[in-house]
Parts: sequence; structure tokens; C-alpha cells
Amino acid sequence: MHHIMLDQFAAGKTAVHRLDPAGKTVATLAVILGTVLVGRDHFLPLVPLAAALAAYHAAGRTPLPYTLKRLLVISPFALAVVVLFPILEPGRPVWTFGLGPWTVNVTEEGLVRAGHLAAKFLLSAWATLLLLATTRFQDVLQGLARLRVPRAFVVQLAFLYRYLWILMDEVMRMRQARAARDGGLGPWRVRFQSGAGVLGVLFLRTYDRAERIYWAMAARGFDGRLHAPIQSRMQGKDWLFVAGAVALGCAAVGLDRALYG
Amino acid sequence: MAEPVLELVDVRYRYPTGPEALRGLTLSVAPGERVGLVGPNGAGKSTLLLALAGFVPAEGLIRVAGHTLTRGTARDVRRHLGLVFQDADDQLFMPRVVDDIAFGPVTMGLALEEVQVRVHEALHAVDLEGYETRAPYHLSVGEKRRAALATVLAMRPQILALDEPSANLDPRGRRRLIQLLAGLSSTLLVVGHDLDLILEVCQRTVVIDAGRVAADGPSREILGNRELLEAYGLELPLSVAGRYVGRGNAAAS
Repeated sequence: MHHIMLDQFAAGKTAVHRLDPAGKTVATLAVILGTVLVGRDHFLPLVPLAAALAAYHAAGRTPLPYTLKRLLVISPFALAVVVLFPILEPGRPVWTFGLGPWTVNVTEEGLVRAGHLAAKFLLSAWATLLLLATTRFQDVLQGLARLRVPRAFVVQLAFLYRYLWILMDEVMRMRQARAARDGGLGPWRVRFQSGAGVLGVLFLRTYDRAERIYWAMAARGFDGRLHAPIQSRMQGKDWLFVAGAVALGCAAVGLDRALYG
Repeated sequence: MAEPVLELVDVRYRYPTGPEALRGLTLSVAPGERVGLVGPNGAGKSTLLLALAGFVPAEGLIRVAGHTLTRGTARDVRRHLGLVFQDADDQLFMPRVVDDIAFGPVTMGLALEEVQVRVHEALHAVDLEGYETRAPYHLSVGEKRRAALATVLAMRPQILALDEPSANLDPRGRRRLIQLLAGLSSTLLVVGHDLDLILEVCQRTVVIDAGRVAADGPSREILGNRELLEAYGLELPLSVAGRYVGRGNAAAS
């Protein structure tokens, strides 16, 4: 069983695909930092950032549905916060309605704040998605290692990426085995119980697998440190790209200060 | 006779949860020998492999390539013993095939150039050139099995120990594996139920039952002895059985 991979378009051959992963990671962070540092309720400074991301999107030939679908998947997390702003932020009410014993005011200030927050979230998520759409995950990990991100963290990510799909396959097989016997129609209480059983078995299997993986690692001399042959590939164009991204982030913040003081 | 590359004397191990898996196992393997380890499920074959690498603390003497296994020498022993596990997904834990094959040589502290030489050599040996940057998740079962073998070959171990190497392989994948194993020059331990594979690859077969050696001899003799095999829950390999069951079946083998 093959799941849709996070980095399914990362094997492309465009100029942005060929940029150094560590450089791209720094550039992504610079753009996100610029986005976050723009003052609240200020939309204009976000425009150059969005334009740059759109340009990168086009340069990497990332399919638009891919980006939109993934943005949609992670949006609920931000949405939960965003929807509260219009009713919690004090200000000029644009719409008032009753909710049982309460009167709810949707304020103009609240709407602006929510819109601004949503825009910042979308830009940051977009930047991260573009990094993954144009860089293979293993290269991102190598990049992180070169950026001196603590080894333990990089290793955790590597293992997560390696085994997440295998675990999902295992869950899927167990669910199929269950569905093959109850036709997916059993009473919900029974299904809930068997679901808990699946979870328990999955935990035990994962535990066993972790032990076997450790053996496989130890059999090849693992001593707690993960060495990987690292080759730096930062070239002139990579430094230029990073410099451009940092300049863009600074420009957004500078524009913010200039426009709104 | 040359100094044995692998020596086990009265090896015993009991799992903390109860069953005694190894009960005084004694075995000696000469350099370059290819030995098949067969026996019923639960005979202690897989436990034996774990004990060789020091993953289960067995009692008795275990000597691998001149190193007596103790807590302190386990790492030296593992350097000379290439263990290939049954589930290739356990063996391939790095994001890319090339990283996985480089893992052993890199942890051995080899220089980058030497690591690259080893990686290419191993990929060539298992016929997986061009798979360097592939993710293990996207390989077929046969490719995974060969990649798992390559991860160990890259360390150039004196002894290769494989647990059920042909499990879940299709006939073509299995045939390729047999050719590959037959072409290796290191000492080989093959654990498994694929007696035909063992007959083709190993000149010596050891039957293990209830944690000790039940029979030991040339593969042709052991694997051609129907009474012996059946006594330990095994059957004649198809390639041998064909000779007994009429010409119709023999032609099919």
C-alpha cells in the first residue's frame, strides 16, 4: 500500500528543486519570520511575501491543487483560533445576534484581526509546503543536520518519516481484517471495543518493531550517535537565494515600520 | 583444519518470560563454510542469531572471528558478524537506500571515500545500482531484501547470518537471491525453512531442535534423509522429493 507522500513532487528538476536544502530551509525560516514580525492588522507588508511565494510556486511547477489540498488539511488548527477573534475582540459591532441568554457582537476590529491572522497562517504554511514540494524530505533532514539542529531531533524526524507509513499500513491491514469479518456494520459499541483492541495490538507491534530496529542498528555498530556522510553543496546561487529571502523578510518588516510607524 | 571462524560451546539462554530457547548448543563453523540452520518453529534458530550478536545474554562460550563474546566485546563481534533480519523494514531504517548502506561503514569510522567505495561495491553485489536515493518504503519486497543484504555486505563481515532470507519472495526474487548468496565468498549462516535454498547454497546443514543441535552433516545427506527431517517437523526439499514421487512430479521441479 502506498500513501500519498508528503514530498511527492520533490523529485522535480527545476532550478528551485536544485537549490541546496539547507539554504532553502533558512530561506523558508526567513520568510516565515518576516511574516510573523509584520505588525498586527497590517496587510500591505504581506503582499511582497505572498508575491515571492507565488513566484517560487510557479518556478517549482508545484501543482496548485496539491498546495490547496494540503493547506485545507492543516487549516482547521488555525481556524479554531481565527473564528473566535471576531466575537472576542471589542470594537464597533457590524453584526449582532442572540445566542440563548447571550448577545454576540461580531466586531469590525475582530474581523480584521481574524483576517490578518489567517493571512499570516496561510503564508507561513504555504512557505513550508513549498519547501517540502521542492525538496525531498531526506534532503530537508540533511539540511537540518547541517544547520546544527540537534541530532536527536533530526533522527526523530527521520524515524517518523520512515516508519509512519509502515504503521499506517499496519493499521489499514488490521482494519481491513476487522471489516472482512464484521462487514463494517457491527454495533458501535463492539466496533469501539475492537478499535481499542487494534490500538493495543498496534502499540505492542510498534514496541516490538522498535526493538528489532534497535537490534538492526546495533548489529551495524550503532553507539547512540547517528553519523551520516554530509556533503555541503552550498554554491553561489544558494547563498544568493538565502540572501534574497532574508532581504525579503527584512523588507516586509521595514515596509511595515515605514507605513505604520 | 583452520581455526573455526565461529565457535559455540554449551550455549544456553532462557527468555525472561519463560521458555528455555537454547539448551546447551555446541557448534563450530570453519572459515568459508556455508551452513544451513533448520528446525521446527520455536527450535531456537532465531534466538541463536540474536545470541551470536550479544542481543540476548546467553550463557556458554561464543567466539566470533577470534573474539570471545562478552558484554565488553559485543561491538567487536558485531563488526565481524553481518546479521540480516527477517523483516527488511526493520533493517532499512534510514530515509534513503544509500544512507542505510553507508550506516555501517560510517559507524565503523571509515573515511568518506572508503564509505563510498563500500556502498558502490555493496549495491553492485546485490544488483541495485541506481537505487541510491530511493526511499526504502518504495522498494518491492525483493528489492528491500537485497538492499538489507547490501547494508551488511558494505561492512565486509567475516560471517553473514541471514534469518529466513527467502520469506515472502516471489520465485524470481528467490532465484536471484540464491544466485547472489551462492556467489558470496564469506562464511554463511542461513536460518530458514526454505530447504531447497539451503540445499543449493549451503554444503552443510545443522538441524536444531529444542535449543540444541539434533543433527549435523553434509546438506545432501541431512536434507535427503526423510525420516530425520520428519522427526523434526520438516519435509524433504521439493528438489529431493521429486526423485521419490514419480516422474510426473519430478519433471515439474
